[in-house]
Amino acid sequence: MEFWTTSIGIAKMRPIPNALGDGYDKFVNDAAEAEALGFDGYGSGEHHFMYDEFMPLPLQAMAAVAAKTSKIRLSTNAMLLPLYDPLEAAEIASTLDVLSNGRVSLGLGMGYRPYEFDGFGTKKTTRGARLRESMEVLRLATTQDSFSYQGKYYQYENESLRPRSIQRPIDLWFCGGTSLQGARRAGAAGLGYWLANSPFDHTENIVKEYRKAGEEAGFAASDLRIASFKDVCIGNTMAEAQGLRQMLMDSFYDEHILGYGYLVDEDGKNLYNPAKDHPLYQRFVSSLYCGTVEMVIEELKRYEALGMEMIFLPSQQRELIAQEILPEFRK
Amino acid sequence: MRLGISWDTDRFGDATSGWKEIVSEAEQADKLGFHSVWISEGRERAADISAPSVFLSYLARLTNNVQLRITGRRVTHALPAHIAEEVAVLDTFSRGRAGIAFAGASAQGVPSAHVHEMIDFVTAAFASDEFRFRGDHIRFPAHTPDDAPPGASVPESEGPYLAQWDWGPETPDFLAITPKPYLPHTPVAVEIDDDDTLSWAAQHGISPMIGADVPTDEAADRLARYRKTADAAGRARREVEAVLERRIALDGDSDAHTLGGSPRDILNAIRDLRGRTGISHLVWRRGGAVPMDLYRFASEIEMLLQA
Repeated sequence: MEFWTTSIGIAKMRPIPNALGDGYDKFVNDAAEAEALGFDGYGSGEHHFMYDEFMPLPLQAMAAVAAKTSKIRLSTNAMLLPLYDPLEAAEIASTLDVLSNGRVSLGLGMGYRPYEFDGFGTKKTTRGARLRESMEVLRLATTQDSFSYQGKYYQYENESLRPRSIQRPIDLWFCGGTSLQGARRAGAAGLGYWLANSPFDHTENIVKEYRKAGEEAGFAASDLRIASFKDVCIGNTMAEAQGLRQMLMDSFYDEHILGYGYLVDEDGKNLYNPAKDHPLYQRFVSSLYCGTVEMVIEELKRYEALGMEMIFLPSQQRELIAQEILPEFRK
Repeated sequence: MRLGISWDTDRFGDATSGWKEIVSEAEQADKLGFHSVWISEGRERAADISAPSVFLSYLARLTNNVQLRITGRRVTHALPAHIAEEVAVLDTFSRGRAGIAFAGASAQGVPSAHVHEMIDFVTAAFASDEFRFRGDHIRFPAHTPDDAPPGASVPESEGPYLAQWDWGPETPDFLAITPKPYLPHTPVAVEIDDDDTLSWAAQHGISPMIGADVPTDEAADRLARYRKTADAAGRARREVEAVLERRIALDGDSDAHTLGGSPRDILNAIRDLRGRTGISHLVWRRGGAVPMDLYRFASEIEMLLQA
C-alpha cells in the first residue's frame, strides 16, 4: 500500500494567517519534505472563487512541486473535471507529465459547490455525465496518437494531444465520495475508485459494492483499483488525539463540510449547514481516525487488508507518520 | 529597454528532450540579466507547449529574477475564469513575475471582439473583488441577466456580510476570482495583427506585441500606427510596454525577421527600432542554440544598450 499526503499550504486554516505567497512556498517545501520522508505521492485539491491562496488549479501547483522533487507522484485530489474542457484538461495534465517524467496521477471529481458551476457556466445537473465523458476523452487522448469522440457534451474529430503524455494512459482515479451509488457506478465503468474520508465499516461496504458492480460488468479484479483518503490524528493518549481532531474540525473542516452542500444523503440530496448532530456530519467526524501510533497502524492495516492500492493521509503529522507508521508497511 | 527570450519549438524532435533545453536556457537567462522568458501556446508540433502557465510555474521554482510571460494565449482553448486564475497562480508562485500576451484574432480564427472581451474580463478579474461580466462571448457568473451593464460591473453597495460557506445553494450575482495577482498591475499585452485590435488596444491602454513571424518593416509600421492612435486617444506612453519579438543572428545575416551582424550592428538595429517604434521590450526568438550566444548577447549587447 502506498502512502500519499498533502499540505495545508494552499488550503489555509483560519486561525493560522501567513504572509502573502507563503502558503504556496509551504506547499512546495512540504512536498520536498514528504518525498524525503518516504511518502509515495503528494496532492492538491481544487476550489474556485475562495480567499487568496486557496488553489484553483492543482496541476499548475504540481508543476511548481515537480521542479523541486524527483520521485514522488503528483496528484490531484480532486480535480473538478466538469469545470474544464476535457481536451484542455488533457493538455494541462500531459504538460505536467512531461515536466515530471511521468509522475502524474489524476484524482477526478464532479464538484459540488453550486457557485463554482455558475462561475464556469456549467449546469451542475450535467456534472455526472460530463465527468464520465471527460474521463473517456482523457483516456483516449493519452493512449492514441489521434482520436475522435462524439459525446453529448463533448465532440472531437481527429485530435492529437500535444504534448504526448509520458504515461500511456495517464493514471486516472475517480474521486467518488462516500455514496454506495457512486461506488457502483465506478465499478460498472471499471474506473479506479478513490474514496473520501469514511469510517472503516462504511468503507468496507463501499469496496464490496464497487467490486461487485465491477465484476458483474466483466472487469478483472486487477482492473478494480481502490484508494482512500484517511485523516488520522495521532496522540500519546486518545484525549490528545481527539483534541487534534477538534482543532482540525474547528479551523478547517467545519466550514468545508457543513457549508457548500458537501454532505450528500443516499437520495443524492445536498445538505447545507445541517446541525452538528446530523448522522452524516457525525459519520464524517468519526471518519477522522483518532488514536495512538499503535492504534493507527492497526487501523491502516485493516485498509491494507481491503486491498487499498494507496492511502491518502492529509496529515500535518508527516514526520511522525514517516518515523513510526510507514516502516510497519515497508517490512 | 527590457530584453527577453522565447523559443521556436520546431527545432526540437520531441517535448521530452526539447523542453530540457528550454529549461536550461531559461535558467541561464535568469542568471545573465535577461528580463523575461516567454512561453508560447502551441499544439501543432511535437514539442509545442499547450499549457504555458504550467510550464512557467515549473520555471518559477527554478528561476529567481526573470519575468515569466505567457504568450500567444488563445481565447478558445480555456474557460475565461481559468485564464485569469492561471496568471494569478503563476504570479503568486513567482512573487510578481507573471504576465500574459494574447494571440491576435486572425491567428485564432475568432472575431477580434472576442479577444478584446477576454482582455476586459481578465483585467477586471485582476482588479476587482466581487464582480460580474456581461459580454457577447463571456458571461460571469452564468446567471448574469441580459439587463446587467455591459462588460464588468461591481455591486452598487455592500450588503450584509455572509461568508461563502453560508451561501447555501444559491450563487450570488457577483463573484471574486482568486487568488489575486501578487502585484496590482500584471502586464497584459495583445498581438496587434489586425487593425481592429491595433486601434482597440491603443485606445484602451493595452500593451501591443508583435511576433517574430511579422517582417520587421511591417512590425515597425504597425507599432508606429499604434502609438499614433494611442496619442490621439490621449493615452500616455508610460501606460504600456510595446513588445517586439525578433530573431537574432550574432555574426550572421540580417533578413526581414532577423537582426544580424556584429554585436555593434545588432545594438544599432535595436536602437533604430526603438527610435522608430517606441518599443520597450525586445524578445529574442531563438531558432537554435549557438554555444555562449546568450552570454555574448548579455555581455556584448545588453550592457551597451543600457549604457
